[in-house]
Amino acid sequence: MASHINRNFVVAYVLLVGLPIVGLLAVLKTGRKLNAPISVDGVWRLEADAAKLSTLPCGKALAESKDAALAISQSGTNFTLTLANGPRSDGAGTLAGTSLNASLAPSSEWSAQGNCGAERKMTLVATVDPNATPRSLTGLLSASDCPACTAVEFRAVRQAPARRASQ
Amino acid sequence: VTLDLFKLVLQLTVILAACRVAGTLFRRIGQPRVVGEMFAGILLGPSLLGWLAPRFSAYLFPPASLGFLNALAQIGVVVFMFLVGLGINPTELKNHGHAAVLTSHVSITMPFVLATLLALLLYPKLSDDSVAFTSFALFMGAAMSVTAFPVLARILTERDMLQSRLGTVAIASAAVDDVTGWCILAYIVLFARAAHDGRSIWITIGGIVLFALLMVFGVQRLLGGMEASYRKWGGLSENRLAFMMLLVFSAALCTEWLGLHLLFGAFLMGAIMPKEQKFVQYILDRFETVTVTLLLPLFFAFAGLRTNIGLVKGPEMWMYCGLIILVATVGKLGGSMLAAWLTSMPLREAAGLGTLMNTRGLMELVILTIGFDIKVISPALYSMMVLMALVTTFMTTPLLAWLCPDHVWRLELGKMSAAKTGLPGPVTESSGGSAA
Repeated sequence: MASHINRNFVVAYVLLVGLPIVGLLAVLKTGRKLNAPISVDGVWRLEADAAKLSTLPCGKALAESKDAALAISQSGTNFTLTLANGPRSDGAGTLAGTSLNASLAPSSEWSAQGNCGAERKMTLVATVDPNATPRSLTGLLSASDCPACTAVEFRAVRQAPARRASQ
Repeated sequence: VTLDLFKLVLQLTVILAACRVAGTLFRRIGQPRVVGEMFAGILLGPSLLGWLAPRFSAYLFPPASLGFLNALAQIGVVVFMFLVGLGINPTELKNHGHAAVLTSHVSITMPFVLATLLALLLYPKLSDDSVAFTSFALFMGAAMSVTAFPVLARILTERDMLQSRLGTVAIASAAVDDVTGWCILAYIVLFARAAHDGRSIWITIGGIVLFALLMVFGVQRLLGGMEASYRKWGGLSENRLAFMMLLVFSAALCTEWLGLHLLFGAFLMGAIMPKEQKFVQYILDRFETVTVTLLLPLFFAFAGLRTNIGLVKGPEMWMYCGLIILVATVGKLGGSMLAAWLTSMPLREAAGLGTLMNTRGLMELVILTIGFDIKVISPALYSMMVLMALVTTFMTTPLLAWLCPDHVWRLELGKMSAAKTGLPGPVTESSGGSAA
């Protein structure tokens, strides 16, 4: 009777513990071939022609801020972004390959300045250079609902991948 | 960044009030207080307060002030992990034979493997190329296979099930789960941090082995002296208690310095403490109240400030969230239940055991925080996993009451031998003595 119970235990152990561990190894091996979206998480220092930037609606406050940077918080192909060291704003975007598309909504304080307008958004379209160290972005910054406005070229260099609190 | 003391005290006041109110309300509907406190943390974050009143939220929790709040919260979790380690008795598993061995191992492997399978789907959608698939998948496995030992112990105590077969097997299995889960997590953190810091992994591993040997063969003897002193005098002097805390923080500092995390040292320190029941209860009584009533709510609030349910946007993201909850439940509840049933436990009882093992509570939040800090999981995935922790912990009490009604337990307990298991009093994972 005891040996019967022991045999059942061994069979159950092999089936429910041993086999899944083998499966786990297979999953880990398969997963190594998967590609995740390119990392854009972190703080990116913005470089753009201040004179051209100030011609954009909402661009003046951005042009006047020193060390303006984009803070990106990434979750796969989606991300949220804010302006670090610049006027307060919130935005979101998506990533497709190395192409990044985002919109930035200025805060009410920012919107109240100059020719910004309450419903205006800034739009970013950029490409990530995955081979550059540190990683860099190049693209165009434009204002929504302003077909007459010329988009401004910008470059952004990742300062360091974002370090989260408690680190 | 300068300390704004007024803002910090205001934050503490709001957090404590919110956690107490939510905890009390959840107690009224038969839930452990910890679920209410986790919920309160989420309400104070961007998911509700930041969404409804962004200006007030920005005033109350400005980003520059969060470092101080986080520091206090982390100290609370360090002490809490020491208490969790203290409540775990490694010899328990020996007493419960095949059922506990198989149940505990299956309750780890099943959710672990299912989580890594799910990782195949989630990695390309919710991660990025700065995280290796192996780290991502192993972290998902560890996070889904954890059991909230303290909540489980509290539920069993409240339902008077601690001495039942189900209770003893559940406690032993959860203890094994916790130790195994933390070992796996240590492995992941080690590799993730070594890759990030460029430090040699072998130096780190060598340091950790040396540290563990020192703890087991050196510090444990010192602690034995403390227990002897307790037996002789019926208590410990303030100096000895302060020395104990000094050892906890020193152990935490060692593991952090070695490239692991503060919490591993604190947990190990608790695990190697003498396990005599009265001594354990004495230590718990000294450190538990301030930790669970003051410091842990700060951790819930900090976790809630990082949880943004707004990131779980659209049907696809909610489908992933649902899948995470489903996989976590099927793996943990189903796996434990199947193993217990195969070792001759009646089906209803086995289902009760699976339900208990599926509770994740604060332990899950602690693990998720580590994963978020070392950037193995993204903000959206973190939010989904927090929801999973809430749902699986929330479902435990009603499901257990349905599967194992009180009269069934009274009958089963009557048949049990009067032998006591000698279990230490459990840590109450933010439910505290007052909440019991």
